[in-house]
Amino acid sequence: MRNQVKILGELGSMILIAAITALVGTILVLAVGADTGKAFGAFFSGILGSFYSFTEVLVRATPLILAGLGVAVAFQARFFNIGAEGQLYMGAIGATWAGLYLPAMPLYLHLGIAMMAGFLLGGIWAVIPGFLKSQYRIPEVINTIMFNYIAINIVGILVRTVMANKTSPLPMSPRLSDDLHLPFLADPTRLHAGLLVALVSAVLVYLFLYKTTWGFELRAVGNNPRASSCSGISVKKTIVISSLISGGLAGLAGGSEILGVHGRLMEGISPEFGYIAIIVALLGRNHPFGVVLAGVGIAALQIGATTMQRRAGVPASISLIIMGLLVVLILGRQYWIKSRST
Amino acid sequence: MDTGLIGILTALLAASVRMATPLTLAGLGETFSEKSGILNIGLEGIMLSGAFFSFIFAYYSQSILLGLLGGCLGGVFISMIHGYLSVRLNVDQTIAGLALNFLALGLTSFFFLMAFGRTTDLPECPVVHQIAIPLLSDIPIIGPAFFNQDPFIYLTFLLVALCYVVLHRTEWGINIQATGEHPRAADAAGISVSGTRYRAALLNGVFGGLGGSYLTLALLGFFMENITSGKGYIALVVVILGRRHPVGVLMAAILVGAAEALQFRMQTMGFGIPSQVFNMFPYVITVLVLLFSIGKNRTPAALGEPYIRNNR
Repeated sequence: MRNQVKILGELGSMILIAAITALVGTILVLAVGADTGKAFGAFFSGILGSFYSFTEVLVRATPLILAGLGVAVAFQARFFNIGAEGQLYMGAIGATWAGLYLPAMPLYLHLGIAMMAGFLLGGIWAVIPGFLKSQYRIPEVINTIMFNYIAINIVGILVRTVMANKTSPLPMSPRLSDDLHLPFLADPTRLHAGLLVALVSAVLVYLFLYKTTWGFELRAVGNNPRASSCSGISVKKTIVISSLISGGLAGLAGGSEILGVHGRLMEGISPEFGYIAIIVALLGRNHPFGVVLAGVGIAALQIGATTMQRRAGVPASISLIIMGLLVVLILGRQYWIKSRST
Repeated sequence: MDTGLIGILTALLAASVRMATPLTLAGLGETFSEKSGILNIGLEGIMLSGAFFSFIFAYYSQSILLGLLGGCLGGVFISMIHGYLSVRLNVDQTIAGLALNFLALGLTSFFFLMAFGRTTDLPECPVVHQIAIPLLSDIPIIGPAFFNQDPFIYLTFLLVALCYVVLHRTEWGINIQATGEHPRAADAAGISVSGTRYRAALLNGVFGGLGGSYLTLALLGFFMENITSGKGYIALVVVILGRRHPVGVLMAAILVGAAEALQFRMQTMGFGIPSQVFNMFPYVITVLVLLFSIGKNRTPAALGEPYIRNNR
């Protein structure tokens, strides 16, 4: 009975949050003096108006899911990885490097190695702050933010120097060969196999977290590091492993963007995917399947908002407002539920 | 202006001080906040909101003073939401700050577009002008950098001194530090932990808002989407490099400002080194500083930890 009340309360609070954000969204649309019918029509047709528009949502969701999974794994171990953005860029560097400079080999092998290179570089970029936290207790929040900016600048340096495209004055790497592309899933849309990588990763992360000893230890450390340490779990090792997997997944997001969308390394391939991934992880409650849903949801919000800007003149930044508001409300809700249950 | 090495050096130093001012202001606010135990990643949002509201107030009133007021209010608006979330609701301060950055970016972009539309010629607001301090401004090299600037910069120097006195020489400043180091002990000693933290958040908003205002009311004279573009994060860097000490914050800000000014100069002179190399400096140095501070932990012990009074 008590459980039912709790579930009802959670459900109610979720509906309340959805209602508040919808209300704020409507007020904003009214404030710019747009036709609400037209605006909301544009919003939904941007998401579900055609098969093509829905595949665009999934293309946008792919890096969000991958990086979101990474953030979720880290958060479950209470490693506050704010560095998915930088890890994503390092992954992009790794994938581009493997795509450009490795000798010829069978296509799928090459694609696999390029993605693995993305995982590896992203992982390394997260393991450094992870190691510094576990070994020397250097707080990871500031460190991972610094690593974001360092990674972004490294990309800027690479595309202007050693990886520069000699035939173009623009700061970008040469194009990968046309074959070296994640397979398209539904011609003529842009939907690529990165989505499959994301979904498989979600299942693997689920199995890892909930069906293996390492995953159990990781969650235990996140819940109570002291108790875990007392029961013989190595907290240090666990944090290093979680940061490696976390950064690796964000690196996969970068690799998938290079091999599935852009075909070359350049600046700005991530419009804050790594930061939005944190919101995705929070909305998905750090559960792999929740992250998949939240990733698609946030992608839909962004794509819908862009369409709304194009067709009804409502600034697309409305999606940023909604995202920020959602997180604030959800944070508040956790307090509300906690204070009522005690 | 004369050319030659001295001329370049003078111009560079003056530019560094100008670049450093918004970082110093925001860094001072964050210093109060972190000393009291609140890590506010939302500094970017505070600055952005400050820049936006200072522009709006100054644009419609054509008054710099009202612009400043608007900037402070804009900063306080964001910082007090963060304060409420972290002091009253005990939520994760990092995520709250991040969410507020998104919220501030969204709100300012949205309302700016709504008010002014998508134009190529940006609307302009009045800006402050430099006032030379007699005699002092004639000192070679440092004179133009420190004593031939706008009043904003003089105010910043004054605030650095004031913050030092408040933080290290008044009871209230000591209370702030106690709250950040050991909230329970502070509470037992009769200090209101939540009150102290709210006041620190308020100061963070005022200073961060001023920092944002400096961009619109002094450096640029206009507003555009995401005008701060990461300055708030660099201000976080400055706080760490300056070891949460007002004078240290000023020095660190000038150092970072110098890197920025140098980078602009290198770009115009067309050296072969990508400007990103210089962009990267402050962040790499911060990581190194964090590395070398291993063992001598200077971070407030309760930084980022919610204080829940009834927990034992």
